[in-house]
Amino acid sequence: MAQFDEKISKDQFEPAIIDASTSERISKPSLNYWQDAWLRVRKNKGAIVSLVVIGFLIIMALIGPSLSKFDSNKQNTKHANLPPRIEALENISWLPFDGTRTLKNGNVVNPYEQKQIEEYYWFGTDALGRDQFSRVWKGTQISLYIAFLAAFIDMVIGVTFGAVSGYFGGRVDNIMQRIIEVLSGIPNLVIVILMIIVLKPGIISITVALTITGWVSMARVIRAQVLKLKNQEFVLASRTLGASHAKIIFKHLLPNLAGVIIINTMFSIPNAIFFEAFLSFIGLGLQDPLASLGTLIDEGFRAMIAFPYQMLVPAIVISVVMIAFNMIADGLRDALDPKMRD
Amino acid sequence: METKKKLLEIRNLKQYFNIGKPNEVRAVDGISFDIYEGETLGLVGESGCGKSTTGRTIIRLYDATDGEVLYDGVNVHGKKSKEELKSFNHKMQMIFQDPYASLNPRMKVSDVIAEGMDIHGLAKTKEERMNKVYELLETVGLNKEHANRYPHEFSGGQRQRIGIARALAVDPDFIIADEPISALDVSIQAQVVNLMKKLQKEKGLTYLFIAHDLSMVKYISDRIGVMYFGKLVELAPAEELYNNPKHPYTQSLLSAIPLPDPISERSRKRKTYDPKMHNYQADETVELREVSPGHFVLCSEKEFAQYKK
Repeated sequence: MAQFDEKISKDQFEPAIIDASTSERISKPSLNYWQDAWLRVRKNKGAIVSLVVIGFLIIMALIGPSLSKFDSNKQNTKHANLPPRIEALENISWLPFDGTRTLKNGNVVNPYEQKQIEEYYWFGTDALGRDQFSRVWKGTQISLYIAFLAAFIDMVIGVTFGAVSGYFGGRVDNIMQRIIEVLSGIPNLVIVILMIIVLKPGIISITVALTITGWVSMARVIRAQVLKLKNQEFVLASRTLGASHAKIIFKHLLPNLAGVIIINTMFSIPNAIFFEAFLSFIGLGLQDPLASLGTLIDEGFRAMIAFPYQMLVPAIVISVVMIAFNMIADGLRDALDPKMRD
Repeated sequence: METKKKLLEIRNLKQYFNIGKPNEVRAVDGISFDIYEGETLGLVGESGCGKSTTGRTIIRLYDATDGEVLYDGVNVHGKKSKEELKSFNHKMQMIFQDPYASLNPRMKVSDVIAEGMDIHGLAKTKEERMNKVYELLETVGLNKEHANRYPHEFSGGQRQRIGIARALAVDPDFIIADEPISALDVSIQAQVVNLMKKLQKEKGLTYLFIAHDLSMVKYISDRIGVMYFGKLVELAPAEELYNNPKHPYTQSLLSAIPLPDPISERSRKRKTYDPKMHNYQADETVELREVSPGHFVLCSEKEFAQYKK
């Protein structure tokens, strides 16, 4: 032991600086909730890819119909039931864009050459000779309109209803919950049929039907969250400081509900899109000549064996929309769910 | 004691929940006590005996079922105008139990602390507001840089100090501390309690200190009230209560304090308390009686004579 003591002289030591002001320092960079969430979303490849896909679909829905030379409602019976053909891509043999179709007996024919058509219909034409390309993007427009409508209804009606019901509680809550129970007790289809009796079948009756019932699940989730939050100590602290109801709702409750609201909205979007497509498919939704993905699939379905592309293209588009929205919702849930934090 | 000014008088305060239903709870069942200016009144008792409810009822987080709370001679319960409520919120503040739940996770520390100033309009300009926040952060032993951070970046002790800074932001005279140290570990408890003592000295604050840690309550309090099932069973100066407990429940509670000494700890006898042991008759009135100056015990006439000896 003595040996070691000799080797290290005292002047090699220096007292550590004890400074109270530095001991409390936090070195980690400060991230707010959204920055933190964005870091998590970014790690989720599926969500990012879906985000890009949705962005692409939105752009296509907006500009798609005008990219094609043909009007979506213009009928041209001479050009009926043409298979897809795209310039340049028609020469690549394994792509289905060469304008040929296989008959039942296995023969490959090219209706473009048979009918001597010079135009290129990128996604082919339907039974009335309307351009499928512009009709598909018109249909996507409808689906996206439904998506944003559903999101809007959820955020405005659902959140307000749930927050009021949960926050004020008591008799107000009791009455509001009974209203929700009555609304959710009526099947959606019944409401739509009733709407069709009053209005005409079409986008307005679907909008009204969604407005009546679409927000119920959101209202329930928000009410439960508000019930949980309003007795948290930071809300009590705010009350002892004399904060008004509005201040508590907007400064304390809503910021803490933001994650739940976004997740729920994102999950209700694919449901609403599917609801519209389903109604259109069974003929209760949009009516000809308006196109939605549901009606396109319905029309294509009738000629599925002879002209499979007529159903295939809108079916792929609606599947991609649904999957993309679901995956974004999934990624957002992982990023925003408070249960995964702390 | 008589020369001191009464800051808060609590008269027969009652707080029942689910009134008239089978699951009616009498959380606070008619308690009365005074809090003098500049003192610390400790409130102890077992879990669920109504300590926190008392604190929350005093500050109007619950509407009292009955009784009154007089602050400086003015009743704080009942219907109030906005101005009256504001001035009352200004004078009385609260520190909460759970430092992890008492700060809004979506707000920056500066906004948490300045919330009271914003509500009461205490800061005219943004600069003044930030300067006050920095001042408060330094008062509770934190740094200026902490103002722009979020609560989840802080430890429990730091968060509790932020909670204290928030309560101090409106310059209150009276602070209800609702188990401010129960959620912290022992070394941090001392930090927070010493901070509270320091602040009391500097700002002349009055505390109602709610806790179940008896040794900590003895350390900080001038007087201690013991609660049992919604009733105040004994109220006495801290030393008097520890050295000369009268009520059997207080004795039982004190016998539960562990000592950091193996020899005496081995011989420590745990007393149990059973409310039936009083054998109160139907015609006896059980109320708080002053056994010796400043020492109140909940007892019947018969017990009173016995305690007085």
